[in-house]
Amino acid sequence: MQVKVNNREYISGLLGKGTRETTRGFSDYRKIGLTLGALPQAEGSAMADMGDTKVLAGVKLGVGTPLQDKPGEGTLITSTELLPMASPRYETGPPSPDAIEFARVVDRGIRAANIIDTKALFIEEDKVWNVFVDIYVLNYDGNLFDAGTLAAMSAILTAKQPRFEDGAAIRDNGLSRIKTNGKIVTSCTFGKLDGHVLLDPDGNEEDMMSSRVTIANDEGAIRAMQKGLRGAFSVEEVEKAIDVTFERSKELRSIVKKVIGE
Amino acid sequence: MTTEKPQLVTNGKRVDGRGLDELRPIKIEAGILKNADGSAYLEWGSNKIMVGVYGPREAFPKHVQDPERAIVKCRYAMAPFSSLEEHGRSGPNRRAVEISKVTKEVFENVILLERFPGCEIDIFIEVLQSDGGTRAAGITAAAVALASSGIPMRDIPYAVSVGKDGENLLLDLNKLEDNTSDADMPIAIAPRNNDVLLLQMDGTLTKDEFARGVSMALKAGEHIVALQRAAIGSKYRKE
Amino acid sequence: MPRIVLPGDKLADKPLRIDNATLEDGKSYATVPGLFDDEKESFIPLESVWYPRMEDSVIGIVEDARNGVYTVALNSPFKGLIITRRDSNGPELEVGDVVESIVRSVKRESDKIILILVRPRNLHEGKVITVKPSKVLRIIGKANTMIKLLTEGTKSNIVVGMNGIVWIKGGNVPLAVTAINRIQAEAHVAGLTERITTMLKESQ
Repeated sequence: MQVKVNNREYISGLLGKGTRETTRGFSDYRKIGLTLGALPQAEGSAMADMGDTKVLAGVKLGVGTPLQDKPGEGTLITSTELLPMASPRYETGPPSPDAIEFARVVDRGIRAANIIDTKALFIEEDKVWNVFVDIYVLNYDGNLFDAGTLAAMSAILTAKQPRFEDGAAIRDNGLSRIKTNGKIVTSCTFGKLDGHVLLDPDGNEEDMMSSRVTIANDEGAIRAMQKGLRGAFSVEEVEKAIDVTFERSKELRSIVKKVIGE
Repeated sequence: MTTEKPQLVTNGKRVDGRGLDELRPIKIEAGILKNADGSAYLEWGSNKIMVGVYGPREAFPKHVQDPERAIVKCRYAMAPFSSLEEHGRSGPNRRAVEISKVTKEVFENVILLERFPGCEIDIFIEVLQSDGGTRAAGITAAAVALASSGIPMRDIPYAVSVGKDGENLLLDLNKLEDNTSDADMPIAIAPRNNDVLLLQMDGTLTKDEFARGVSMALKAGEHIVALQRAAIGSKYRKE
Repeated sequence: MPRIVLPGDKLADKPLRIDNATLEDGKSYATVPGLFDDEKESFIPLESVWYPRMEDSVIGIVEDARNGVYTVALNSPFKGLIITRRDSNGPELEVGDVVESIVRSVKRESDKIILILVRPRNLHEGKVITVKPSKVLRIIGKANTMIKLLTEGTKSNIVVGMNGIVWIKGGNVPLAVTAINRIQAEAHVAGLTERITTMLKESQ
């Protein structure tokens, strides 16, 4: 029933005047919300809102066999679902290339920063804990990467470690959180429209952007990068985006710290 | 691992402390998703369910279009993190496909499809957390999402399940009860005339037990309908 | 006093000539949430899908352009068609254009319903928002009072399509959007005009 509205000329006009919808600046986020533990049956869960984008991350741990090249370590498995309820543009069916890229970019930042102590997931020979992170997009309005990373990171940091007893996973009260390295990875995504580089593009801006770049970092370093779409960035534009990322990621980390109780 | 059947009823109380004909607590909220034409979030005991509906919109692909009426499409799916136990497989399995089909048929009965030839109405039911009775919860939530979107309907259906343990009939089975009961019968009702829109049964049931089970469901329906109506009507109440 | 009714609620023990009612055994029942006045037998839908009528003014987005025949998406189950003659001096339209036009006729093709649209006007550079079709009459107001209030309070040019698409250009666009969203949310609460007047005054 809904039409895809076309606000290109209006948004271009605003950008020409140095502003955006809801009068935010080029390096500003929309309103961010983060709530934890909506799903107590999962080991960890978090819901992140970025403007009207709404994503839910759920974490489950399962007993599995280790990868051949890493026999003493558990693994992180990240998946995403672009639910058809989230946007008229999403359809039911197997994961699209967009969904797979989204999952891999979120996964890469968390993995590269060694957030999860995968050696602590070792149970016994040929048995390890696998950490499944599933990111569900409930409503789409742009910038899934940053919202997804925020939800996944918060769900992982607060995920409970089940016990292994008599060959089975036991999930009871009093479990402690899975072992992590104390760092927090967040990501900042930029879209390029009409020659302007904008942090946190919303759905209308994503429809117009020619290129996109995501930078994931923790307190110390860049942990993952991903450039997307047909257009290009100059090296200077990417360097500027890195500066903005290190500045803005402080706010994102403080939001995560606040909800996980640190 | 023990396979012994737990005792489901002790001194007239069930494993979670409920009476035999007592529903779990239910909470319904309408209109929380921005893009969907209608939406509802429902908590029913530990079940947590999100529903989004779209339409009527042009049916796609073209060959599914019906020149006489709109078609209904339904997807019921369980999130891989929804269960207390292991991580599930993503994507609908055979069980989910069947539930999607019988749910679709519930709404084909009540939506005024003939007003929208060539169109489709999509119902997306995502079980975010499950504890037994998710199909009934999904139907109850989808009805709220549809009604609050302005899609014309003859009635607002609800659903609930009735189970059996030995001599006892139990209303609204949770997961543990569902796994070990002697029968489980989900039923969906159009409350205006108590038409049965969905009926499934698995186990052993006498005709008398069926009749008693239905009247148990209808009685519970009064409460469920009140909650559905409050969720739809809440935004129209004058402050 | 009108009462709030929901789908399935009985409106009357007799047939009523109301779009949002269904007839069963000679009795009328509501099909969408609405306000029903038992004395006047009038029904105001609180939610509804837009159902086209002749002479409705609508706003749509051009989806397809071929040899002067344009398909227009209308926030509705049904597509609009604009057919221009080569010698006419109507506007040249492109895919993605926002266009205002009038419903000339509602045609039942072999497999679906198509709206024939006439007198197209291309709307440039504005912001397009969608609203609930059931709230359109409230946004326009009795004798255009509400839309006048909005235009004066925001200095924006505002065009409202009966199909629930609104186009806003110039003036204070964010204020106009906020005001329209507030009208949608509070459409059923008395004293709306006063509240919107105050809001627009305070925001200046």
